[in-house]
Amino acid sequence: MNVEITDLTRRFGRAVAVAGVSLQAGPGVFGLLGPNGAGKTTLLRTMATVITPTSGTVRLLDRDPAQYGPRREIRRRLGYLPQNLGYYPNFTVAEFVEYFALLKEVPSARVPRAVAAAIERVELGDRARSKLKSLSGGMLRRAGIAQAIVNEPQLLLLDEPTAGLDPEQRVSFRSLLRDLGTSATVVVSTHLVEDVGAACTEVMLMADGKLVFAGTPAELTAKGTDHGVGDAPLERGYSAALAEARS
Amino acid sequence: MSDPNELSAPGDVDLGRAWIGVAAQVWHRRPGLVERAAAGLLRSPGLARALVSTPSLLVPWLLASAVVFGVGAIVTHDTSAPVVALLAPAVAGAGIAYAYGPGIDPAFELSRSMAVSDRMVLLVRVLALFAVNALLGLAASALSATAAGIAFGWMVPMTAVSALALAVATLTRSPGVGMAAGVTVWGLTVLGGQAYSGHFATAVRTHSLYLPYLAVAAICGAAVIIRTRMERGTA
Repeated sequence: MNVEITDLTRRFGRAVAVAGVSLQAGPGVFGLLGPNGAGKTTLLRTMATVITPTSGTVRLLDRDPAQYGPRREIRRRLGYLPQNLGYYPNFTVAEFVEYFALLKEVPSARVPRAVAAAIERVELGDRARSKLKSLSGGMLRRAGIAQAIVNEPQLLLLDEPTAGLDPEQRVSFRSLLRDLGTSATVVVSTHLVEDVGAACTEVMLMADGKLVFAGTPAELTAKGTDHGVGDAPLERGYSAALAEARS
Repeated sequence: MSDPNELSAPGDVDLGRAWIGVAAQVWHRRPGLVERAAAGLLRSPGLARALVSTPSLLVPWLLASAVVFGVGAIVTHDTSAPVVALLAPAVAGAGIAYAYGPGIDPAFELSRSMAVSDRMVLLVRVLALFAVNALLGLAASALSATAAGIAFGWMVPMTAVSALALAVATLTRSPGVGMAAGVTVWGLTVLGGQAYSGHFATAVRTHSLYLPYLAVAAICGAAVIIRTRMERGTA
């Protein structure tokens, strides 16, 4: 298992962001759904080793992220796209991706090829030498995805990766996700239910800091067969599962 | 003969792979001399890249610092007032406040998930900035006997002011506030010394102040260490 989380709780002061979440994940694409404030980003930040849990245990890639050495090994194999990724305006796309390849300790000799491959995978090749300040929001998001995959991560954590992408780019991105999910654990936090239906093998639904559903997109869809609100079957399943959790 | 306008790759050539190889060569950034030297010294190309990207180690900032020290050296030489000694802590504190942190690094959240730890980046940047400012200060001091005589007198308060600016910048997540705190506290210290003894140089010439300076540096250093720990869950 690449991710093993047991009874994870994370507080910020008196607020409980994540409350007793347990999950296991091997290779595949996992969609993390839930309303605003459900705890998705906190769970993702914990898996990204940016914050530590208040209680509970986390094991990533068979290592304990609480220890310095194992944490460093995890981070070498980790790809992370935060919800609010800042950019260095005067870096080019290639420089930006290269910077994070170096910080992930990709061996120097492999960096140029890894950078080129990551940029090509997000279809930014024609803008590789453009400064980030000259790019559109969707292009910046793709540059962010490129840095996340530059080290061919075994654990890829993406927080709202399709925000700002146009429909054509989103279709292309879903294909990339499916491809990455064949060998790595990809966790995608998103508000866009259709992204989950199209790209994810598993869905996890969070509400009020708790994991209230875990299953396949088909199983979530089935929950909305008789009731639930939404235009698409998966949306109805999503709203039905949320209503059930809150009742 | 085949039409030259209809060239195609042999079947066993993977054009995608070939293009990645070409793109890798074309897009690759050649590290400069300083970055290569830093990579060798630090044994980490990532740390070296982070070091040469330090905002307050970029050429415009270094030039501005050199100009300040240069003017200070001229004034010190002409008037025998120890301007370099009084400037050095403020200039170093300002630079160090802008070394690293959420207020200065747009991708700080991402940086905290990297194998090269953010604390190591901070440490290397701070040490480099301190060294650069110390060298600039020493070079400026060498131009005048007055300044040279108290060269180590300003290094101790420079350590304290740098640590204070860094601590405030780290705690408030704002390099501007850190810089303002360092410069203001140092200015008040100098003015306080002048009010007490009638000499501006009291703040750098009084040996009995070294211990309080070092205590401030130690406390601020501890504050930075605590604040830059991984964000802990509150029980």
